[in-house]
Amino acid sequence: MSTNDPNKVWPTGLTLSEAEEVHSYLIDGTRVFGVIALIAHILVAVSTPWLG
Amino acid sequence: MAPILRRAIFYKQEWSGAMVDIKAFSIRKITAFGLTYLPFADAATEAVPLSRLLRLSLFQVTVGMALVLMIGTLNRVMIVELGVPAALVGGMLALPLVFAPFRALIGFRSDNFKSALGLRRLPFIFKGTILQFGGFAIMPFALLVLSGFGKAAQAPHWIGQVAAALSFLLVGAGIHTVQTVGLALATDLVEEKDQPKVVGLMYVSLLFGMIVSALAYGALLEHYTPLRLIQVIQGSAVTTVVLNFYAMWKQEARNRVRGNAKRGPEEKFGQAWAKLSERPGIIRLLAVIALGTAGFGMADVLMEPFGGQVLSMTVAQTTRLTIYLAFGNLLGFALASRVLSRGALPLNVAIYGAMIGVPALSFFVVSAHMLSVLVLTLATLAAGFGSGLFGHGTLTATMRSAPREQIGLSLGAWGAVQATAAGVGFALGGVMRDVVLARMAVGGSPAEAYIPVFMLEVGLLVLALLLAFPLFGRTVAPPDEPKTAQDGFVEGNAS
Repeated sequence: MSTNDPNKVWPTGLTLSEAEEVHSYLIDGTRVFGVIALIAHILVAVSTPWLG
Repeated sequence: MAPILRRAIFYKQEWSGAMVDIKAFSIRKITAFGLTYLPFADAATEAVPLSRLLRLSLFQVTVGMALVLMIGTLNRVMIVELGVPAALVGGMLALPLVFAPFRALIGFRSDNFKSALGLRRLPFIFKGTILQFGGFAIMPFALLVLSGFGKAAQAPHWIGQVAAALSFLLVGAGIHTVQTVGLALATDLVEEKDQPKVVGLMYVSLLFGMIVSALAYGALLEHYTPLRLIQVIQGSAVTTVVLNFYAMWKQEARNRVRGNAKRGPEEKFGQAWAKLSERPGIIRLLAVIALGTAGFGMADVLMEPFGGQVLSMTVAQTTRLTIYLAFGNLLGFALASRVLSRGALPLNVAIYGAMIGVPALSFFVVSAHMLSVLVLTLATLAAGFGSGLFGHGTLTATMRSAPREQIGLSLGAWGAVQATAAGVGFALGGVMRDVVLARMAVGGSPAEAYIPVFMLEVGLLVLALLLAFPLFGRTVAPPDEPKTAQDGFVEGNAS
């Protein structure tokens, strides 16, 4: 096991570029979820306005 | 004293040895722990067990669920409960169809996806799932605004229309992505001789998802309230994410060789498509799929109104017709899986399916003359059986027609043709039904109005048969290299 490989990131044993790729999916998902939540809130506010 | 000292030294050595072991052990454990919580498989396994394929096929359940929700449930809810004009509803529901041709592009992109992990399919299923979820998450509010619920009546109309269109587009794009890339992943995972089993599994899961969700939506929306609509659609969103994530978890192996591979000049979609379409028989196969799917699909739409208006069957009876159709489908998938696993040629199976479909659809006409519910029931069962054989045979043929590195593109082309043909058949069937109703209003006989439509369906199937017949007894574009599971990880015995 090449635990001393400098390219590998603790604790998963992925290389840096691999770990960055996994992270990029997380970021993408979060962005989409954020936009969806924003749209949903706007739509709810249009039909049943809160805060006056 | 000496033995004791020796023993002490021995213990010390053993202890330090154990220390080293613990360090190695904990590093190994932590590494394994990290990998447990990453969604890809660590290495390609030799044979993918059926249970794992069954789990993968769950993505088809969510696709079936989305189809039923949009085409069946919301179609009704928007018109009846929400009072949205029928033309607007039809337009909204047709929107996902716009994306169907892009399936080929999605499949192509997944074939050539740049990834340090060497993944090709997983990222697309993930993104598709997110799109499906996002569409469902905003859909109930979009529909409520569209129908002018609450204060939305004072808001400009375009907000509701744009939001509803966006939600349908998102769900549609999600379905197209998930189904195309999911099928490609399933094809990647198994050897060629097991592909018929996978195709059968995928079709059965789709059917299962559609039946279960149709029953569930029917029961849940029996007493409609706006809150219930929100709960049901958002519940579908969460179910989609849960099922799809469970389906794709640890299915695709990461591949350092592919991840680190030096890339040559990037292949353009046009080049890839030219390479695929010059394989003998592919274009012909896609044309057969288009004609056959449209023919069978149109029959699906018209069966229930035909039973009700011409044979004066009750709603319960016409609903039973749908069940007979599904049962016939299941029989077709089961038989096709069986004979194809034993070495039958997929195109032959598809041709037999269309050959059963022609008389079955003709008997729809006969049942109109005889006014016999029994004849219609048997014809429906046979049509389902034929369409099951046809669907299974053509999808298996498509899977086998492309080289391993173009599986995504060929399945994308299959999906584009199949989804477009089914949608056009569905829409055309609906339009013809309206024409029928209009003719009934001026005093024409409903049976006379339905007969030309069924003749058209039979004509489409005959045309498909004529096109397919030169391919009888042949494989489309026989593979030029032995195709084995997981890009050659396994030395398969595919013939």
